[in-house]
Amino acid sequence: MAYVRKNVSTLTAGERRRFVNALLTLKRRGQYDEFVRLHIDFYTTDGENGLRTAHMAPSFLPWHRRFLLDLERALRRIDSSVTVPYWDWTRDRTTTSVPWTKDLLGGNGRRSDRQVTTGPFAYAAGHWTLREGVTDGKFLTRDLGRSAAPLQLPTRSELKWALDDPVYDARPWDSTVRKGFRNKLEGWGAGSGSGSWKNHNRVHRWVGGAMLGGASVNDPVFWLHHAFLDLQWYRWQRAHRSHRYLPAEPPGVADDQHRRIVARHEKLPPWDETPDQLEDVSRIYRYA
Amino acid sequence: MVVGVGAVAVGAEQQAGTGAARPSRREVARRLLASTAALGLAPVVAASRPAPSAGGTGGSSFDETYRGRRIQGVLVPAAGPEADGGEWRITVDGRPLHLMRRADGTWLSMVDHYTSYRTPLEATRAAVDEIGPGRELRDLAPGRLADGQPGGHAHTGGQHGVRA
Repeated sequence: MAYVRKNVSTLTAGERRRFVNALLTLKRRGQYDEFVRLHIDFYTTDGENGLRTAHMAPSFLPWHRRFLLDLERALRRIDSSVTVPYWDWTRDRTTTSVPWTKDLLGGNGRRSDRQVTTGPFAYAAGHWTLREGVTDGKFLTRDLGRSAAPLQLPTRSELKWALDDPVYDARPWDSTVRKGFRNKLEGWGAGSGSGSWKNHNRVHRWVGGAMLGGASVNDPVFWLHHAFLDLQWYRWQRAHRSHRYLPAEPPGVADDQHRRIVARHEKLPPWDETPDQLEDVSRIYRYA
Repeated sequence: MVVGVGAVAVGAEQQAGTGAARPSRREVARRLLASTAALGLAPVVAASRPAPSAGGTGGSSFDETYRGRRIQGVLVPAAGPEADGGEWRITVDGRPLHLMRRADGTWLSMVDHYTSYRTPLEATRAAVDEIGPGRELRDLAPGRLADGQPGGHAHTGGQHGVRA
């Protein structure tokens, strides 16, 4: 029986509490930090040699789908009623709307050092000490909307621009490709100006603080953000039923991307599943 | 196609308990960091492409104070038959900052992972912008520094499994 992932804005007070408590329990047991570390270890960029799985690659979506399933499975062992909610940043767009409330993820970081001081993940609450951070700071940080040079969350039309592309991904299968659903959603653009961050990348930038760096998993909004992206993959599949994950076959030996990306039927490290196996998870969960 | 719950559950379960089989890449990376520190070197960034010859900083090193922090970087010519570029060694107040290269030649740092910059100096300054007052970089060099197989086969051994 498939379970349901809900929009975080629709969770009841009890559902919010149970989701938060399961996260805090995972953290207390030391298991949460393993998720932070795994994400750091798998951040390989396309300007370096080697296999890319999590970012700047076609498997950006199945990699994070599988990563969320691991987290969700861990949470459900603690409390079987819990599922990972999603944050629809095209609707809940302010620094005070969900999920930035005291009964969920807490609010923005304070001005002086960007430390999150409200909600269950505030350092002073005693349950959320960062151990796998990019800096030696022990507290969670956020800079919602980027105070120094404000920017907006991605709009519905920007998301639609990605969803409307019928091709899943295209050569050269990296951060420089300008067409294809995957990179339009992942959000690597040309240059380094504000306009170059789309969808996924732009949200990391908008939240700021821990979410901006390699240890972005330290902010639990990571999961709500990626659940929403995972929902977009499902929506894209429904809109373009004749299209699938690409590439279907591994790039050949003469191809610059040979052994650097994961094709449809290749295993996706560190797991044993393939993108093909992760395309349809309707037996496991569905979105409300 | 449809994947069952059981199939998806396999990976995490299999990885549980295998962590002690051999040193994790992270441990190896830390040892490497310790050894490079002993030599007075910052950890290395292995770039697969030549450094940009023009634009931005242009040169092969920088050493300046930016927003109260000492930032230093040097491009060390690569050695070995497979190296075709160089290695940027970057520090912020003496602490190593790991940079990564994008295919378009721009640079990302561990601190600012979702924006890329034209030069190592710009990426380093952007990292300083985000580090925050009173905080210092922590050694978080990804394991790729140790085993030379970035994101590759080393992972399939399961030592990076999420035990949850």
